[in-house]
Amino acid sequence: MKKIEILRINSLNRAPLIVEGYLFEGSNPDAPTVAIVGAMEGKTILPLYTASKLVDFLKNSISESKNILGNILVIPSINHYALNINERFWPLDKTNLNTMFPGYAEGETTQRIAKRLFDAISGYTHGIILENREDLSTCFPYVRLFQSGYEDIKNAKKFGYKIVHHKELRPTDTVSLQYNWQLWGTKAYSVMCPNETQIDMNSSNEVLEGIISFLSKNKIIKYKVLNGFESTVVTKEDIEIVKTPKSGIFIPTKQIGSHVIKDETIGKIIHAIEGEVIHKIVAPSNGVIACHYKNGLIFENAVSFRIIKSG
Amino acid sequence: MQITEIFSSQLPVGETLSIKRSRFEPTHKKDNLKRISIVSGTHGDELEGQYVIYLLSSWLNKNSSLINGIIDLYPAVNALGIDSITRGFPLYEVDLNRAFPGGKEEYLPGQVVYALAQDVKGSDIAIDIHSSNIFLREIPQIRINKEFSEFTLPHAKELNCDFIWIHDAVTVLEATFSHTLNQMGTRTLVVEMGVGMRLTKEYGVQLLNGILNLMKKEGIITTDEKFESREPFLSEIGEVFYINAPTSGLFVPELNHCEVITKNAKIGTIVNPLDGAILETIYAPSGGILFTLREYPIVYEGSLLARIFGNTDEKN
Ligand SMILES: [Zn+2]
Repeated sequence: MKKIEILRINSLNRAPLIVEGYLFEGSNPDAPTVAIVGAMEGKTILPLYTASKLVDFLKNSISESKNILGNILVIPSINHYALNINERFWPLDKTNLNTMFPGYAEGETTQRIAKRLFDAISGYTHGIILENREDLSTCFPYVRLFQSGYEDIKNAKKFGYKIVHHKELRPTDTVSLQYNWQLWGTKAYSVMCPNETQIDMNSSNEVLEGIISFLSKNKIIKYKVLNGFESTVVTKEDIEIVKTPKSGIFIPTKQIGSHVIKDETIGKIIHAIEGEVIHKIVAPSNGVIACHYKNGLIFENAVSFRIIKSG
Repeated sequence: MQITEIFSSQLPVGETLSIKRSRFEPTHKKDNLKRISIVSGTHGDELEGQYVIYLLSSWLNKNSSLINGIIDLYPAVNALGIDSITRGFPLYEVDLNRAFPGGKEEYLPGQVVYALAQDVKGSDIAIDIHSSNIFLREIPQIRINKEFSEFTLPHAKELNCDFIWIHDAVTVLEATFSHTLNQMGTRTLVVEMGVGMRLTKEYGVQLLNGILNLMKKEGIITTDEKFESREPFLSEIGEVFYINAPTSGLFVPELNHCEVITKNAKIGTIVNPLDGAILETIYAPSGGILFTLREYPIVYEGSLLARIFGNTDEKN
């Protein structure tokens, strides 16, 4: 394993931001390669935790280094500055790194960071980005692939997560890492992590196992894994969005991953001042809860649950 | 004048979010009136538009007999952001000017921009007033997408601004108010002027004159009064030079914003207060007008310090 400096940004009052990657060199030059990008934003923990546990796994759990077949580059954190002070974006100008790709060497700070990162991760066969949903919801782990014309759905299933979300491309997605990585010839996948502020052992293991499964099934590492799910490819039509007509205190009563039946109560809204139940959230159809809103206070007309329809 | 709520949402704890519009129209209703919409406060840290819209509503109150069209004012699109010094939509941290066209079924920021776009829809002209951000000070300027410039440029020239910047189409900017409204057939102009979190009174008056001038030309107000309309310089006749910080530190400007400068003029220094070192001295790569200047002094490598509009041939 080699530790390599990906980029360095000085600061007037903080220690320099030094982003490092862990390069595990493969024993087979013909094997596919992969780069894994961890935390680009702060205020959440799973992208960071998963990537750092992956470094630990590759370093300490693979008994023989020859079982690493293809080159693997893991960059656990890009945005230490945000993580350390619980900011979400670049702390000075609040720009989102994941809207700066492919980056620009002569541009603004975050464009420069994006450019140096992008240079370091270019040329790999596969690219995995550990992300969080941008809205205020948490979900079970899944793969998000944009409908860009470059996506590889078959390989996305090798993570063995419950679903692969095949998502429409919006104008703002054209500056994301996934889209630009695809455009430049790497098969990129966003692994969407549960949006948590503390480590939940179950969901974090699921994210990590999925990545190890992907590496194994693509013959990047030689490592026996248990099969995960046979992923279902989900598009907009398969998702039932459940909104709450009332704002107030939000209490989900069904967990993410639960199977629910039509008209079953899955959550409630409590009047924030007077405490009574002002709305019962019911499942509009049979299905599995993929996401729910993650804060205690919810806006009117906000999405409280996303259900993948079944039946 | 009539004030209407164009969007409202009951917030979780004892408060209603309300986005308001005021409408000025002739006292005697007529058909086929031209309609202009003035929008501001999409970014919660930009306040210059608040002042311009105040000057305009106050002018219209005093001159209601001159009104010959419909004038809609939307001073505070991101109402929650403005009152909390938050650029994006609070909580979601979403840039509202990257959330258009939005939708009824979307999250709250998407609902707000959708309501705005639907309400402005049908206007002949829309003006979206921005004031840069808290980092940079800008000369009053119009930003125009090349795609729509055939229709928007003639209006831009009436707005009494100093500079018209015509830029290429960029996919990510399709999610802006101006792109969305231009596509709906409303000729939409973006004004950038001043700096975030502050008012620049002379710019407010300058743009007020421009808006009155444009409204007069379009027959939305009828008056013999002459409004100042300065000749703007167009980005196409020269080149914009970007000066980004080569290193991180405290930026101390040497020149004044809007100054006409010569090539190699000293724009400022980047210093370190801790040890008194001058880390970098910044010189102008071209002569021209210093139309953007850093206001917030803490910089990182890459932070924009200044922009100069100069002659293309000076590059060599
Ligand atoms: Zn703005």
